[in-house]
Amino acid sequence: MPTAAALLDRIGRPGDLSLGTARPEPLGRLPTGLAVLDEALGGGLPRGRIAELAGAPSTGRTGLACAIAAAATRAGETIAWVDPQDALEPEAAAAAGIALARLLWVRPRSVSDAFRAAEILLGAGGFGLVVLDVDAPRAGAGGWPRLARAAERTRSTLLVVALRREAGTFAALGLELGARRVRWSGGPGRLVLLEGIDARVTVARSRIGRPGQALVVRQACA
Amino acid sequence: MPRIACLLVPDLPVAAACRADPDLAARPLALSEGGGPHAPIVAAAAAARARGVRAGHTVAQARAIAADLVVRPRDEAAERSAVRALVDVAASLASRIEAAADGAVFLDAAGAAHLVPSEAGLATALVARAARVGLAARAAVGGSMTVARLAALHGGEVVPAGTELGFLAPLPLARLAPPSEIAATLERWGIRRLGDLARLPVAEVATRLGPAGAALVRAARGEDERPLAPEALGGPLEEAIGLEHALDALEPLLFVLRGLVERAVARIGLEGIGVARLGLALGLDDRSRDERTVPLAAPTRDVKTLLTCLRVALEARPPRAAVERVALAAVPERVRAAQLGLFSPAGPSPERLATTLARLAALCGPERVGAPAVLDSHRPGAAAVAPFTLGAAPEPPPLTGCRLVVRALRPPRPVEVFADRGRPDFVRGEGLGGRVVGAAGPWRVVGEWWSDGAFARDYYDLELSDGGIYRCYRDDGRWFVDGVYD
Repeated sequence: MPTAAALLDRIGRPGDLSLGTARPEPLGRLPTGLAVLDEALGGGLPRGRIAELAGAPSTGRTGLACAIAAAATRAGETIAWVDPQDALEPEAAAAAGIALARLLWVRPRSVSDAFRAAEILLGAGGFGLVVLDVDAPRAGAGGWPRLARAAERTRSTLLVVALRREAGTFAALGLELGARRVRWSGGPGRLVLLEGIDARVTVARSRIGRPGQALVVRQACA
Repeated sequence: MPRIACLLVPDLPVAAACRADPDLAARPLALSEGGGPHAPIVAAAAAARARGVRAGHTVAQARAIAADLVVRPRDEAAERSAVRALVDVAASLASRIEAAADGAVFLDAAGAAHLVPSEAGLATALVARAARVGLAARAAVGGSMTVARLAALHGGEVVPAGTELGFLAPLPLARLAPPSEIAATLERWGIRRLGDLARLPVAEVATRLGPAGAALVRAARGEDERPLAPEALGGPLEEAIGLEHALDALEPLLFVLRGLVERAVARIGLEGIGVARLGLALGLDDRSRDERTVPLAAPTRDVKTLLTCLRVALEARPPRAAVERVALAAVPERVRAAQLGLFSPAGPSPERLATTLARLAALCGPERVGAPAVLDSHRPGAAAVAPFTLGAAPEPPPLTGCRLVVRALRPPRPVEVFADRGRPDFVRGEGLGGRVVGAAGPWRVVGEWWSDGAFARDYYDLELSDGGIYRCYRDDGRWFVDGVYD
């Protein structure tokens, strides 16, 4: 049982005048659907912030992005996928668990249009997650600050899936996918199939959580 | 005995012109058939008639009579829109409706008994709803279309059953607008009132004046030539206007569109439904037409949202010439009331989503914005795009863990594959290449053999020394990569 003095210290003594006491709202979290990743990130991706997911081809970044999108649509969120490379396969997305009816698929014809589309979606509000799937995220002058402000204003999470992290300090979270192990089934005399990969995910940047923490996410073929 | 209501607008051409351009309402307005000083005046507003302007005058004669006369060409598109607006008003209270060629609308008054307590209430409601769509109308109820029309022209009232002859008797013959020869003959006979005409034997009149004369006698008795013929209702609402001067700038065109959208929304609002899709047809001054469709994510009656979507569509693809005529078609659909969950995310509002989709379509192309759809095809990577709408939440798919998905390469990328003992050993192509360090396949995928898109491919999953895992296929001896596992 706290003492009266401790309680008064917590709630403020009579006559206390505090200027600028507006406390920042606690950062909401968008669960990724992967328990090990949510634990490492303090509950999930930060809402209203930019998160980056970077890695070389075939390191599992798209699969991980699909898993995050699937968790969001399962929670009832309306999400958007900005895809200037026209790389999304609806059948693969559905197999990954994404509710396609809740996914707005936008295919701009250039990277600059992709950033513009992401800004429009973030500004509209109501989209819990906006995935920006670009190889080289060149936002142009003032691009990252505008996106960060739009995300914060509408509490939408912008997940940038790219080969490299480019947002710098404007991203609240950076995940990097690196060395991975490819799993093949079968062997000599037996049918060989691609089973999946074990992707190594490193929390390269995080304002809340433990930067530098690494974990392995197993991704299986459908 | 049927009970028919008639809803009409006196001076429909003038009323339609004032509905399209409210600034004309207080001015001495005359409508001409065509342009130029010799064009005949076909209709004149009350203020112009008070100055002595009449139908039949030429424009020059009319201007000589009234120096401040405002002359506009007759706008038949606006008149059609006004008549359809009257039909919508009638449809909001009855289901059996017929629109006459002169713009009068007849409805079966018996069908409205559950909505309004009396026939007088029905007439009042019709007039009030017509005012909401911008028309000063008159309404009356009688035992036939003829009686109801004459009562409406008389000022609007309810003619109780069994009193039709008494109501019609004192009315002048001119109310039936008889042909001039027949009118002259009846004048010589001393027939000046409908009551006098009604007492004449039909057969005798038919012998002397022909079928037109017989029809006049029956009309004087309040009889219709045929019963009410209801027309099919539903379909898009159309609002149209012909422009006095061709418009080649966006802002004035949007100003005109605002009026059309507001009138369309007022008509749609009569039935509590929203606009699901807009169709815009622009008549250009190079004699061509610009037709486009503006889809909406959810039915809405918000004028600002509809105008924003139209603006975005016009900014993305401006008309190639100045605009002379504008026709707007609003496809109606019931506004869906969505039950939000207490703990589920609200999602984007229908109005914001509509403008967002319009902006994205203008940026990327309308065919590149939508919800992904799985095609019923064996072709790997097959994709389609469906319209994105807000609707009932679908049943969430079961949890699948984290999947290794394929990033499609569209179009498939041709590569060179060097084989060793029949197995792929080295792959080289644009942006990828290396020795094969892991392989699965081949498996044959065949499909669409009945169409021009028939395919038969041998697929492989190949891990290369460059670190990539690729989905490759061989088609008729040629190799392609159409996906990257990621």
